Amino acid sequence: MVIYILQQLVNALSYGSILGLLAVGYTMIYGILGLINFAHGEIFMIGAFSCYLFTTVLNLPWVIAALLAIITSTISGLLLERIVYQPCIRRGGSVLTIFIVSFAASIFIRFLFMMFFTDARRAFPIPAFFEKIYFVGGIAIGLRDILIFTTTILIMLIVSYFVKYSKLGIAMRAVSYDKKTASFMGINSIRIIRVVFVIGSMLAGISGLEYGLSFGIVNPSMGFNPGLTGFIAAVLGGVGNVPGAMIGGFIVGIGEILFVALLPPIYSPLRPLFVWILLFLILFLKPTGLFRPNVKFEGDWGE
Amino acid sequence: MLLSIENVTTGYEKAQVLKKVNINLGKGEIVALIGANGAGKTTTLRCITGIIKPWEGTIKFNNQKIDALESYEIVSLGISYCPEGRDIFANLSVYENLKVGSYLIKDRREFKSNLNQIYELFPRLQERSNQIAGSLSGGEQQMLAIGRALMSKPSVLLLDEPSLGLAPILVESIFKVIQQINSSGTSVLLVEQNVSLALDLAQRAYVLEKGAIKLSGESKDLRESVYVKNSYLGIK
Repeated sequence: MVIYILQQLVNALSYGSILGLLAVGYTMIYGILGLINFAHGEIFMIGAFSCYLFTTVLNLPWVIAALLAIITSTISGLLLERIVYQPCIRRGGSVLTIFIVSFAASIFIRFLFMMFFTDARRAFPIPAFFEKIYFVGGIAIGLRDILIFTTTILIMLIVSYFVKYSKLGIAMRAVSYDKKTASFMGINSIRIIRVVFVIGSMLAGISGLEYGLSFGIVNPSMGFNPGLTGFIAAVLGGVGNVPGAMIGGFIVGIGEILFVALLPPIYSPLRPLFVWILLFLILFLKPTGLFRPNVKFEGDWGE
Repeated sequence: MLLSIENVTTGYEKAQVLKKVNINLGKGEIVALIGANGAGKTTTLRCITGIIKPWEGTIKFNNQKIDALESYEIVSLGISYCPEGRDIFANLSVYENLKVGSYLIKDRREFKSNLNQIYELFPRLQERSNQIAGSLSGGEQQMLAIGRALMSKPSVLLLDEPSLGLAPILVESIFKVIQQINSSGTSVLLVEQNVSLALDLAQRAYVLEKGAIKLSGESKDLRESVYVKNSYLGIK
């Protein structure tokens, strides 16, 4: 039993990494725009799906395809901000309008991909190098799980350090808190918002690649569930709080896997239920999340 | 003139607040803008910062028109605004607030020397540098707001109600600091409800009433004027 649970925990680490990276993007964008970017899951899909396209259609080597995929998802996020959100905000769209717009953007991107490629599941290319498995005291640990986990932790440390100590990171938190006052400091909040979209979308792209590596399957609607789960992880960690979102991602990821592992197998289709119960509990017991949120709740754009 | 507001009319949405306002600020001066609640003092400052645009008239800084610029561009020219109600970043530490204030300063050494100057002006801020700004007392928050506005080494400081809600002893020390800031070369446009103190500090003052300049002149002359005495100093 102990070995079984430990094995499940090892399995949960890469899932937690995937959710953690997604949650950071949600939390940063929410923190700075008060916007739940529901198209974030689609940026995640673009990361994984474009890597699949680069390797199969263009026959590029995996590493190059993966780097291009990260760039593609970053550019997609940036375009989303430029073409969809920024004009909406400039015309004085309310929080509700932009919320609906982000839903529309999510559905639009997903269906656009489905139209071109159909929603058939495809095998994500996994280099043979990643397939190695180590056995430690009866627990199987895949090299890819180790790589996914360590890459994620490394990225998270870099992002946390950046947000906490760099001038741009501090400016980002200032803009999240109060855009108008930040502009009195000489901060161009539109530029800061762009930087946030770049970082968030890059992380979503990396997360998509990790998902592909870990589950081996990609399809245009793959972003939907991890997207929602990542969002819940962000709420759990306290919106706007970057390290909180990462920890939230691991809690939700590990929780979801253990939920399934500990219940009798016939209940395993209930897996998605776990995150919704969790969301309900958070909203009910501690709506601000486990860690200090980094936003001033005022329900407007601060002019 | 360093900063001149010429015939500015403006307001919010459709509600007009200012009517043909003319204000000048010379190099090295402290100029006070006094008036009752709702007279348009804060609106005047906000108009200079670019957060609201003039409907008519112009604002010039060093003879350059600035009224079409964005707020963050106006700051980069050397006009710094210390908002009313001490809009500090409550989620950041004291040090981080000051760091945000120096956002436009690229040089690390310059940042360090500005920071040391602010810590000299307000030793309390140095003691609390790692504390979250939201946990400071009202007086400390006001010091932080002023310190933050000075971190960009502005040539013009726009101060909105620095005495608001502070104990008299704190008001006095804040005003002393304003004097120090001014003697080190920063021109100050001060919006203040405490007319007596404002007239003590400023060389010149403008009296704003219902969005228009009612009176202006040297502080010592205004102090003697019957109108100011009756309406603002409570002397019959």
